Amino acid sequence: MGVQGGRPPAMNIVVLVKQVPDTATERKLNPADNTLDRASSDGVINELDEYAIEEALLLKEKHGGEVTILSAGPDQATDSIRKALSMGADKAIHLNDEALHGSDSLQTAYALAQALRTTEFDVVVLGSESTDARTGVVGAALAEYLGLPQLTLANKVDIDGGTIRIQRQTDDGYDVVEAQLPAVVSVVEKINEPRYPSFKLIMAAKKKPVTKLDAAGAEIDPAKVGLANATTETVDFAAAPPRAAGTVVKDEGTGGVQIADFLASKKFV
Amino acid sequence: MDFTESEERLALRSAVAGLVAGYGPTYYRSKAQAGEYLSELWTKAGELGYLGVNLPEEHGGGGGGIGDLAAVLEELSAGGCPTLMMVVSPAICGTVIARFGTPEQQRRWLPGIASGESILAFAITEPDAGSNSHRITTTARRDGSDWLLDGRKTFISGVDVADAVLVVGRTEDARTGRLKPALFLVPTDAPGFEARRIEMDLVSPDHQFALFLDGVRLPGDALVGDPDSGLLQLFAGLNPERIMAASLAAGSARHALERAVGYARERQVWGTPIGAHQGLAHPLAQVKIELELARLMTQKAAALYDAGDDAAAGEAANMAKYAAGEVSARAVDQAVQTLGGNGLASEYGLGAAIAASRLGRIAPVSREMILNFVAQHSLGLPKSY
Repeated sequence: MGVQGGRPPAMNIVVLVKQVPDTATERKLNPADNTLDRASSDGVINELDEYAIEEALLLKEKHGGEVTILSAGPDQATDSIRKALSMGADKAIHLNDEALHGSDSLQTAYALAQALRTTEFDVVVLGSESTDARTGVVGAALAEYLGLPQLTLANKVDIDGGTIRIQRQTDDGYDVVEAQLPAVVSVVEKINEPRYPSFKLIMAAKKKPVTKLDAAGAEIDPAKVGLANATTETVDFAAAPPRAAGTVVKDEGTGGVQIADFLASKKFV
Repeated sequence: MDFTESEERLALRSAVAGLVAGYGPTYYRSKAQAGEYLSELWTKAGELGYLGVNLPEEHGGGGGGIGDLAAVLEELSAGGCPTLMMVVSPAICGTVIARFGTPEQQRRWLPGIASGESILAFAITEPDAGSNSHRITTTARRDGSDWLLDGRKTFISGVDVADAVLVVGRTEDARTGRLKPALFLVPTDAPGFEARRIEMDLVSPDHQFALFLDGVRLPGDALVGDPDSGLLQLFAGLNPERIMAASLAAGSARHALERAVGYARERQVWGTPIGAHQGLAHPLAQVKIELELARLMTQKAAALYDAGDDAAAGEAANMAKYAAGEVSARAVDQAVQTLGGNGLASEYGLGAAIAASRLGRIAPVSREMILNFVAQHSLGLPKSY
């Protein structure tokens, strides 16, 4: 970018979108290979990614440019890509290859980095974690693969010329983090309120271009992705134990204090 | 034949369901109890283009069909916010104006109806004629280039939030002297127009009114469309009305069924969820079947209407309205039974739904009138009245 004052040129913004099993349904792992059983529940956009899409659309509205959705996932991820397009994104890249099945967070970051090399971008926006794996490391690993600055856990993003500045959410407030574009930004849910798709955009979404990309097209080394080459291994899994009975506090004058202590222990206050 | 809705229709449903999830039955109830309209939800739905999906794009609508609008209303209703004025403003009045209005009337009204900024009410029912369009006594007389409108209407929804009312009246045919139906746009602030609220035992943000039209003077261009085809125009608006009423009832049935099923899964007596007992499970399964049948007929009626087959759409729309009205009453009835005492506790919101669920059997046309229609037109039986 690198502009001297005035309105910055149009920005290319890429949003990473992951399709995850609906958190409202019972989610399962497939006992055959301990990976996610995608057939057992409906796929939806990872909730935090909706905030990333919203932030990208707000940046576009402010600075002009284009919003591209990048999603790695099987065929049914198309539904989530369409939803992202119906929120107002301009186009999408769908990285889809059986070789990617079972990739862990690092491998996914590598694959996404390779896919990003097929397009121009000034900023990559993603949710700070996904509701299924919840590792929260893809953004950081991606920035490393790309050799770009990472700005994580943003609850506010400002871009001025070639500089990006975020408020990084912390336990007791926020840090201000600044970097030069291009950069990778992960967002938290406090950042905005994702919009609902309008009827017009829903109707337009089908006509928006979706580029299909396979591993070869993204020059992904097959030896670096997939379940067999994963750097982590799911050895076993078990259903979560049923929720234990709650604590019943009988108020004998100290009920308020006990509630406050409880909330403090859970970091609510 | 295709029994799957289009990708876009499903995406629309999911978008609307997402929007209404942020409001829900608590919002609906608190608005009703405060005597306020669902303005926040209505405005937001309008901004997103959901209220005008069926109206032409050149007038600010979405360019979709009544099937799309019906999907919006079903989802809002299933989410606990049965938005009654969608039946009236975009579906009846929007359709009539889009199909038969003058270019000026279309420019004046359609963009506002589509965005929700304007609301039109619809007045056909009269104290002595019911919805019998042949017995309507509200009459328009020529006075120079103006019209003078006199008559009474009853059970007119949402006049308090409406900018104008599309009134079904009759004009005298200059040649034969016979009276024939004609539709007029009457601003709610017109001199001689009076609306009196009818107290209802319904917990609803939508209010009912009796209208008194006493020499209401209207400009010549208040007449909608061609005065010689008033009846045709009227029926063009009534099919969407029935399809939408069916969608509201089906959505409300979904809402009640979901509450009942959720409760039956979780509520345990003697270590078993009550839903495991067939005494509760089977009636809920029956409601589910009847609900899906009603939805299927509603979608068929909408598809026929959108394909331009008004006559076939009429029969299907009546049957859909009948089926949806029945299942909405039955779903709420069974939901209350499933929840037992909680079914009548304010917290669960089903007690108030008992009264509301009867609406689908009564309005916009009663179950009995639909049975008359089917007996006479579908079966060819002799007319009883």
